[in-house]
Amino acid sequence: MMTMLLALALLWPLVVIGWTLWSAYRAPAAYQSYFSALWLSAAWPALLLAYGGEAQWTMDAWMLGGEWALNSLSRPWLAFTALLWGVAAIHARGYFAAEQAKAQKGDQDTQRRLLRLALLWPLTLLGNVLLIIAQDIASFYLGFALMTFAAYALVVHSGTVEARLGAKAYLMLAVVGEGLIIGGFLWAAGEADTLTLQGLREGILVAEQGAWMAALLCLGFGVKAGVIGLHVWLPLAHPVAPAPASAVLSGAMIKAGLLGWISVLPLGDEQVSVSLAQFGNIMLMAGLAAAFGAALYGVFQRHPKAVLAYSSISQMGMMTSLVAMGLVAPDVWPLLWPGLVLFAAHHALAKGSLFMGTSISEHLPRWPLPLVWALLALPGISLAGAIGAGMISKWGVKSPLYEMHHESLIKLLSWAAVGTAALVSVALWRQWQQRHKGGSNREQWGAWLVAIAAALLTPFWLPLPAGSIEMPPFKEWLGIIWPFPVGVLFAALGWLLTRPLKGKSLPAGDLWWLYAGMFGAALVPIRLFGHYCAELKAASVASAQKTEEMLMGDLTRLLSTESWLRHHASGLMMLLAVLLAALMMWEGQR
Amino acid sequence: MNAAWLPLTALATSLLVVVVIFALPEEARRLRTTINLMAAVVKIILVTLMVRRVAAGHEDIFSFQVIGGVDFVLRSDALGVMFAGLSSLLWLCTTIYAIGYLEGSANRKRFFGFFSLCVASTIGIALADNLFTFLIFYEMLTLSTYPLVVHNGTQQALDAGRVYLRYTLSAGVVLLLGTVLLYSLTGDQSFSSEEGLGDYLNDHRGLLTLIFALLVGGLAVKTAMVPLHGWLPRAMVAPAPVSALLHAVAVVKAGAFGILRVVYDLFGIELSVELGVITALAVAASFTIIYGSLRAIAQEELKPRLAYSTVSQVSYVILGIGLFGPFGTVGALAHLLHQGLMKVTLFFCAGNYAEELGIHRIDEMDGAGKRMPLTSIAFTIGAFGMIGLPPVAGFITKWYLGVGAIQAEMYWVVAVLVASSTLNAMYFLPIVHRLWFRSGPAHGKGSWPKEQRLGRFETHSWLLLPMVFTALVSLGAGLFAGLPFSPLDWAARVANGEYLP
Repeated sequence: MMTMLLALALLWPLVVIGWTLWSAYRAPAAYQSYFSALWLSAAWPALLLAYGGEAQWTMDAWMLGGEWALNSLSRPWLAFTALLWGVAAIHARGYFAAEQAKAQKGDQDTQRRLLRLALLWPLTLLGNVLLIIAQDIASFYLGFALMTFAAYALVVHSGTVEARLGAKAYLMLAVVGEGLIIGGFLWAAGEADTLTLQGLREGILVAEQGAWMAALLCLGFGVKAGVIGLHVWLPLAHPVAPAPASAVLSGAMIKAGLLGWISVLPLGDEQVSVSLAQFGNIMLMAGLAAAFGAALYGVFQRHPKAVLAYSSISQMGMMTSLVAMGLVAPDVWPLLWPGLVLFAAHHALAKGSLFMGTSISEHLPRWPLPLVWALLALPGISLAGAIGAGMISKWGVKSPLYEMHHESLIKLLSWAAVGTAALVSVALWRQWQQRHKGGSNREQWGAWLVAIAAALLTPFWLPLPAGSIEMPPFKEWLGIIWPFPVGVLFAALGWLLTRPLKGKSLPAGDLWWLYAGMFGAALVPIRLFGHYCAELKAASVASAQKTEEMLMGDLTRLLSTESWLRHHASGLMMLLAVLLAALMMWEGQR
Repeated sequence: MNAAWLPLTALATSLLVVVVIFALPEEARRLRTTINLMAAVVKIILVTLMVRRVAAGHEDIFSFQVIGGVDFVLRSDALGVMFAGLSSLLWLCTTIYAIGYLEGSANRKRFFGFFSLCVASTIGIALADNLFTFLIFYEMLTLSTYPLVVHNGTQQALDAGRVYLRYTLSAGVVLLLGTVLLYSLTGDQSFSSEEGLGDYLNDHRGLLTLIFALLVGGLAVKTAMVPLHGWLPRAMVAPAPVSALLHAVAVVKAGAFGILRVVYDLFGIELSVELGVITALAVAASFTIIYGSLRAIAQEELKPRLAYSTVSQVSYVILGIGLFGPFGTVGALAHLLHQGLMKVTLFFCAGNYAEELGIHRIDEMDGAGKRMPLTSIAFTIGAFGMIGLPPVAGFITKWYLGVGAIQAEMYWVVAVLVASSTLNAMYFLPIVHRLWFRSGPAHGKGSWPKEQRLGRFETHSWLLLPMVFTALVSLGAGLFAGLPFSPLDWAARVANGEYLP
C-alpha cells in the first residue's frame, strides 16, 4: 500500500507534466487552461504519503542503489513541503488568471511563459519530494539538482531585466553550490566507501578531515539555505519571482538546504571530534551573523518581497545556529531536533503565506482594509513568536536549550526575533505603501487563508513524534512574546530616524554587487592573458610555417640538383668512365 | 568450446558490406540502404551473442600465423566486447542518421562504403588480441576516416583532412616504432597473457618506459590529448554523422581504448605503476580536461564547442586509468560507453539544428526549443549528462572517478572533476538557456538562417529517431545503472577481471 503511494507520489508530477503537455498540444490556445484541476493535484499524493506512516524501500536497479525511507524526520518534512506546494499551486492558479486570459487572447509570449511554468513547476516539486525521502546519496543529489535547475523557470518567469538578473544570480550560485556539494559528497563517500547518507554521517564523524568535508557540504547546501556570503541570490530572486513561486522558494526549497545539513552532518553524536565541534562553532557564528545582519540590512529595503527575503535569510540564520548546536553541544540535539523541524515547518507556511500576502496587497479584495492587514500581519506576528504556532515553535527550541543551560544563545535568538518582528513590520508598511485595488480572485485569497491557518496551527497537523512538542507554560509567555513589541517599536523608531534620508535605500542583493565588481576586475588580466596567448599562438604558427617553407625550399633545391644530374647523365657517365679508366691505368703502371 | 567463427563473422559482416557497397552502383540507393541496415542489425545480434558467451566465461579466439613470430589473432574478451557493443550499437544509429542526413546529396556510395569500413576497423580494434593485429586495424581506421572527413570536398574540408592525416599518420609511425621495439624485446605478446611484461622489468626498465611512451604517445593523438588535439576541432567540417561517429566511438575512442589495452592488458597495471607512468598519465589527462573545457567556453559555434568538450571528456577515461584502483577503472570503462552515448546524442542534435534550421552558431539557437522540442530535450539531456548531473549517465562515471580518486589518495583529482563540471556547466547551460528561455524566430523574432521543412515531425524522422534513442539510452544508463548488463555493470565486470584474477 505504502509502495503504491510512493510510486504515485513520485509518478504523479510526471503524469501531470505529460497531461499538461498533451493538452497544450491538443487544445486550441483560446481554450487553453494551464492550471487545470489535475495540475493542482501534483503535490497531493506526496501529502498523503507523509501521513501514511513510516516505511522503507530499497531498489538495487536505481542508479547506484536506491534507498528511500519515511522516518520520524522525513515524514513531517514531507508533510509541510507537500502542503505548501499544494496550497501554492492553488494560489498560482488565481495569481496567473490574468496572464492566462491574456494568453487565451493569443499573446504568444505569455503562452510560452505559462506553459514553461506549468511544466517545470511539477518537476521542481518532484525533485523536492525525492530529496526528502532519499536516504542514499545519488537519489538525494538527483532530487536536489532537479529541484535547483527546474526552479530556474520559476524565478525567471516574468522575463523582465530584473527577473533575468535574479535568475542569473540564482543559477550562478546554484552551479557553485552543486560543485561544492558534489566535491564534499565524493570526498566523504570516498573515504567512508559508502553510498548512503547514514554511512556518510558516520564517515564524516570518524574521518581525519571530517571538519573540512562538513565545511564543503555545508557551504554547498548553504547556497540554498542562504548562509551568509552565499545568500545574495535570495533578495535578488525573490522580489522578481511570481508570488506563489516565491512562496515555495522561500518556504520549501531553501529548507532543502537545511535538510541537507541535517542529512550529512553527524549531529547529536557524543564522539564529535574537536575539529568538528570547532566547525560547529564557526557555523553557529555564521548563523547568528546572518540572523542579525540580514535584519539590519533588510529593514532598509523598499520592495516588500525583498524585505521578506531578508527575513528568510535571518530566519535561516537562526536555524543554522540551531543545527550547529548539534555539533557544539551534541547532548541537546535529541531534544532540539523536533523543535527545529517545527520551526522550519512553521516558517515554511508562515513565509509562504506572507509571500502570498504580497499578491493580495497588490490586488486587494473588497474587504475592510483593517481586516486585510490584520490577516496579512497574522503569520508575521506568529513568525516573531508572539502568537499561535510561532510561540510553540519558539518554546520547542528554547526549552531544550534551557535544560542544557545555553542561556546566552537563547538571549541572542530572542534578539534575533526582535529583528524578525522589525522586518515583518517593515514588510507590512511597504505593502501598505504599494497597495493596489482589485483583481484578487477566490483561489488567490482562498489559498492564502488556508496557508495562514496552516501556519498558525502547525503543531496540530505536523506528524512529529508524540510528546516531543508541548505548549509553553504560562509563566514563560512573557519571555517569548517580548521581542515582538520591541521589534515593532524599533521599526517605528528607525522609520522616524531615517526620514531625513527621503526614502533612499540600500540596493537589494548587498554583496552581489561587490562580487560582480570583483569578478569584473579579475576578468581583465585573464582577458589580457588570453590575448597574449592568442598572439603567441599566431606567432608560433607563423614561424612554424616559415620554417616549413624554408625546409621545403631546401628540398626543392636538392631536387633541382637531381634534375641537373639527370640532365647531364650521359656526360657525367662519360666523365666517370674516363676517370675510372685513368685510375685503372694509374694502378696498372705501379 | 571455441566458437572461432564468432569474432571473425562479427568483423566480416562490416567488411563484406564494404565490398558490396563499393560493388553496387551509385543509384542503387534502396538496395544499399537495406543491406547496410541488415548488416548493422546482424552485427548487433552477433555482438549480443558474444556478450552472452563472455558473460558465461567463454572467450572465442580466431588466429592464424602471418609469418614466423607474428600472428593475426581475434579474441572476444570482456573489454573488447564492451567496445564492440558500443561500436555496433552506434553503427546502427549513425547509419540510420546518415541515411536521413545525406538524402539527395552526391557521393553516397563512397560515403557509406568508407563509413562501414571505418566501423569494421573499430570492431577489429576491439577484438584484436595482440599489438600487430591492433595496429593493422588502427591504421585502417586512420585511412578510412579521411574520405569521410573531406566528404564535402570544400577547401576547408580538404585542409582539415590534410591536418588530420599529418597528425594521425605521424602518430602511426610513432606507434609502429613502439610496436617494433616491443616485438624485438619480447616477441609476440598477447593481450590475454597472464604474466605481462613484469619479467623484463629488471633488465630493461628504460626501454620499457620508452616503449610505453611511444605507444601511449602514438595513441594519444587519436585520443586528442593536449597538445596533440589540434586535428579534432578542425575535423568538425565533416558531416554531422561522421562527427558523431568520430567523437563517440571511432577515432577518439579507438585511441582511448588503445591506451586501456596498453595499460591493462599489455603492460599490466602493476607494472605501469612500477614504471611511474601512471601518475604522469593522470596529470596529462587532468590538464587536458581543464584546457579542453576552457577552450570550449571560448567557442562561438556549436560543433567546435562540442569538439573541445570531447577533448575534455575523453580524458576522463585516461584519468580513470591514472587513478590505479578498481573504482577508477570502473569509472574509466563506464565513461567509454557513457561519453559515447551522450556525445553521439549531442552531435545528432547539432546536425539536426544545422539541417533543419541552418543553425551553426550558438547565438542563432535562441528559442529553438519551441521549433524542435524533441531535439532540444535530447540536447538538454546530453548537456546535463556532460555536466555530470544525475540522472544522466555522466553522473555515474563522475561518481566512480571521484570515489576512485579519494581511495587512491589523489585529492586534487576531485578538484579537477569539480572544476571540470563547473566549466561544463558554464558552456552548456547558456546553450540550454538559449534553447528554452530566450525568444527567437520561433516566436516571431527574426528568422532562422536556412529553414527547411524536412519531415512531418520537427525534422526528418530518420534524423529524429536515432537521436531520441541514444538520448533515452543515456538517460537509462544513469537512471538504472544497477541493472545487470548496464554499462556500469559490464564495466564493473571487466574491472573485476583486471583486479581479481
